[in-house]
Amino acid sequence: MSWQPEELSAYLDGELPPERAREIESALERNPELQAELESLMAVDAAAGRAFAAMLEEPVPASLAATVRNAAPGRPGNDPGPPVVRRWIAAACTALALLAGGVGGHLLTTDKGALQVAAGSGWLEDIADYHRVYSTQVRHLVEVPADEAEHIQTWLTATVGAEIVIPDLADLGLSFEGARLLVAAGEPVAQLVFTDAQGRVVALCAIQSDAPRDGFGRQQIDDFELVSWGGDAANFVVVGDAGRQDLQKIAEAAAQRT
Amino acid sequence: MAADFKNDLIAMLPRLRRFARSLTRSVTDADDLVQESCLRALSRSDQWDPAQPLDRWMFRIVRNTWISEVRKRSVRIGQGLVPADETHELTSSETGEDAALEKDLLQQIMDLPEELSALLLAVSVEGYSYAEAAALFDIPLGTVMSRIHRARKLLSLRMSETTGADT
Repeated sequence: MSWQPEELSAYLDGELPPERAREIESALERNPELQAELESLMAVDAAAGRAFAAMLEEPVPASLAATVRNAAPGRPGNDPGPPVVRRWIAAACTALALLAGGVGGHLLTTDKGALQVAAGSGWLEDIADYHRVYSTQVRHLVEVPADEAEHIQTWLTATVGAEIVIPDLADLGLSFEGARLLVAAGEPVAQLVFTDAQGRVVALCAIQSDAPRDGFGRQQIDDFELVSWGGDAANFVVVGDAGRQDLQKIAEAAAQRT
Repeated sequence: MAADFKNDLIAMLPRLRRFARSLTRSVTDADDLVQESCLRALSRSDQWDPAQPLDRWMFRIVRNTWISEVRKRSVRIGQGLVPADETHELTSSETGEDAALEKDLLQQIMDLPEELSALLLAVSVEGYSYAEAAALFDIPLGTVMSRIHRARKLLSLRMSETTGADT
């Protein structure tokens, strides 16, 4: 039989009619040269697949995610209702005021209906964006792995300007994976990354504060729930999937153990 | 709906950036392209039929946005796409001293003639059928078959050259 060279690619892609595919298979059995040609094409696909897969692990610029998040969606029918975007910006700004301490620190309550807008750039929004991007990472979930725990604590304490302690949360089903240094609203933020038995990521973030907040606050930004509190010269937040029920408990445990 | 749509888009950003980079062959241009495409998608989200996969719809928008940008650029600088059928060599997206450096496979993929890398990504990685790829890239089905084969042959050649050079 004779064939066009590109039919070999079409065979590889499952694009040949069944009868023609059988003819190619028959030729492959009899022709080692053709078999080698097919294998070289498969090797290209495998190598290209690995190269393309590696691209997915490159971090997405937070500004790109933020632009998409902040964009006003098309509003069919000119629905005059309050934009969803504004609601979460309000929540993020309120949370910022809380986490940064100061006069805004008393605006947020655990009553979702009582959220108020406070001035400031939404660093919590950055935290949520980081979480959205990094929590999908597998090989590059963290910047420094858990086996360098001592270094992580020294490094992040020096960089963030507040004591960073890695809490043991094993009794809550969380194992420590490692850490990242983030920059949110222009300030260094320590991010300690944990995963549960299902592989879901929970992050504990800390930012230096001269006036840490009192008590715990909870808010939701899109798919994520955030529980925040104040500690020694720092404000903390635990962020995880909104569906999970244990974030308050995790936050309270982390607050005692940091 | 709007929040879900945005969340889906944001979750898809790594794949959109990868596809955009295979088209633009530049990280910066790719991010600009993805941003512009997402804004376009958001402004016409009511046109998306939830019965069709959002990623396919987005890839189409990215590719269309890129083509309109290429047309604008070609008007500005007086040149357009080099048809892939007329090109038989890898072109270099780098200049000067970079061109002399050893390139890894990803760079070699990006150096494939216009749109061959995007076509390879769509078919080999994203799982597009030839018919779907033909629609995405606005080319005949037979051209998809010949181009995807050309892409593989060019890379195979370059891989064997690289292997040979290393030994």
